Amino acid sequence: MAKFTQMLEEKVMPVAGKIAGQKHLQALRDGLILTMPLIIVGSIFLILGFIPIDSYPQFMADTFGADWLTKLLYPVNATFDIMALIAGFGIAYRLAEHYKVDPLNAGAVSVAAFILSTPYFTLFTPEGADAAIQVGGVLPMAFLGSKGLFVAIIIALFSTEIYRWVIQKNIVIKMPDGVPPSVSKSFVALFPAFLVILVVWVIRLLIEKTSFETLHNVVGKLLQEPLGALGGTLVGGLIAVLLIQLLWSTGLHGASIVGGVMGPIWLAATDANRLALQAGKEMPEVITQQFIDIFIYMGGSGATFAFAIMMLLFARSQHAKQLGRLSIGPGIFNINEPITFGAPVVMNPLLLMPFILAPLALVVTTYIGMTTGFAPKTSGIAIPWTTPPIIGGYLATGGNWRGAAMQLINLAVSFAIYYPFFKMWDKQNYETEKSAAN
Amino acid sequence: MNILLCCAAGMSTSLLVTKMEAAAKLEGIEAKIWAVSANEVKNHLDDADVLLVGPQVRYLLPQLKKTGEEKGIPVDAINPVHYGMCNGAEVLKFAKNLIGS
Repeated sequence: MAKFTQMLEEKVMPVAGKIAGQKHLQALRDGLILTMPLIIVGSIFLILGFIPIDSYPQFMADTFGADWLTKLLYPVNATFDIMALIAGFGIAYRLAEHYKVDPLNAGAVSVAAFILSTPYFTLFTPEGADAAIQVGGVLPMAFLGSKGLFVAIIIALFSTEIYRWVIQKNIVIKMPDGVPPSVSKSFVALFPAFLVILVVWVIRLLIEKTSFETLHNVVGKLLQEPLGALGGTLVGGLIAVLLIQLLWSTGLHGASIVGGVMGPIWLAATDANRLALQAGKEMPEVITQQFIDIFIYMGGSGATFAFAIMMLLFARSQHAKQLGRLSIGPGIFNINEPITFGAPVVMNPLLLMPFILAPLALVVTTYIGMTTGFAPKTSGIAIPWTTPPIIGGYLATGGNWRGAAMQLINLAVSFAIYYPFFKMWDKQNYETEKSAAN
Repeated sequence: MNILLCCAAGMSTSLLVTKMEAAAKLEGIEAKIWAVSANEVKNHLDDADVLLVGPQVRYLLPQLKKTGEEKGIPVDAINPVHYGMCNGAEVLKFAKNLIGS
């Protein structure tokens, strides 16, 4: 076991540090966060639209008119459906900050480049017609939302790389004598944006020659769909959670590091369920951002809520009693640094066992619960990861008590896994304290 | 004395802020102590005399140390045990030593 922690410190730590500090992944993580406040606000309207009471839709229709739901969902469309646009801007902004070039300009250029890679028409089948007709002069909303998320990410990184490369090359245009220097400067300032647009334009023209037709189809078929399919499986969920736990085992913020890679996949899965909810269809995704945040990480990474309760109620040692009082408050809001660093769990073989095992077990129980239909799938309602357990499960499933019940089961499972280790750890502390007192 | 703390979302460090404020009051030290998320640090660094980094984001330390050096502000990671137990007095002492050095 000592070897194991040594391996973590020597092998995992430096690699994790490199990945976490990698500027593109960092920009991706920090830029994607820009979509969260909007999506959470949109979720409030989404919850109100789909309260699972049989008489509710009728009551709303009687009170506000037959098209109440369409009107109520306007804000949902204005928040969820532009997540790619917002994420692209945010990612370009954060990456430009790293390169110390003007982030606002880089963000604006990236938005233009993203629109440039998106078709300006949509297909529409009129009632009674056999074939779809092409409608011009529109931007398909689907591509501005989760379906275009990966394109937006790629374009944001790509356009900002070109943008900063041109600036750092320090290209100068020689003007004849007599031209004021600020005039030549104003031309030079246009050049980075021009080159980005030029390159993306050429890419669009080239892709239009192929059977893919748009960049969205290329990225969707070759990247977003395969990655989404992998991330959506039980094994994919287990691997992601295992990585998060291994990183936290060395005291590094696993969720933040792994989230850089898994964030877009889980966010797209969340939105796939939201779209299904709005369309009245079966929800396709089990593993979403809320699956991880709300159902697995109750009390924080490591599913430590049960451990905090144990310390509060059953501790004999002063250390565990004190830590229980300290950690229960933040634990209710899924913050557990007092436990990971205070117990400590980090580099502590005894507590690392349940810390790694419990979340993995919860992935399995929740996955089974949601695929067998015992518990509803998360319905695309994005609630903050700080939402307390029980309330979180209820809200994330669109106000379904079975969501809360699933969390209670998970709490019981994590309690059972932590308890024997807690007893051993508490006893060790108690004896150390007793011998110190003598 | 202006002490800036940072972690991933600025949430768990905000726990420590309240404890440090209490410790500062007890010692009669006039101090402004606040916590932000890692990507907001740049916007707050000019107001700070010292930057303390949560141990869970210590992978950002090299990067933040460089930024701190440019501005002449000492930067270091908080001791994990003090961090976990929210030991305000110890972390305050650590901050004072960093500013003093």
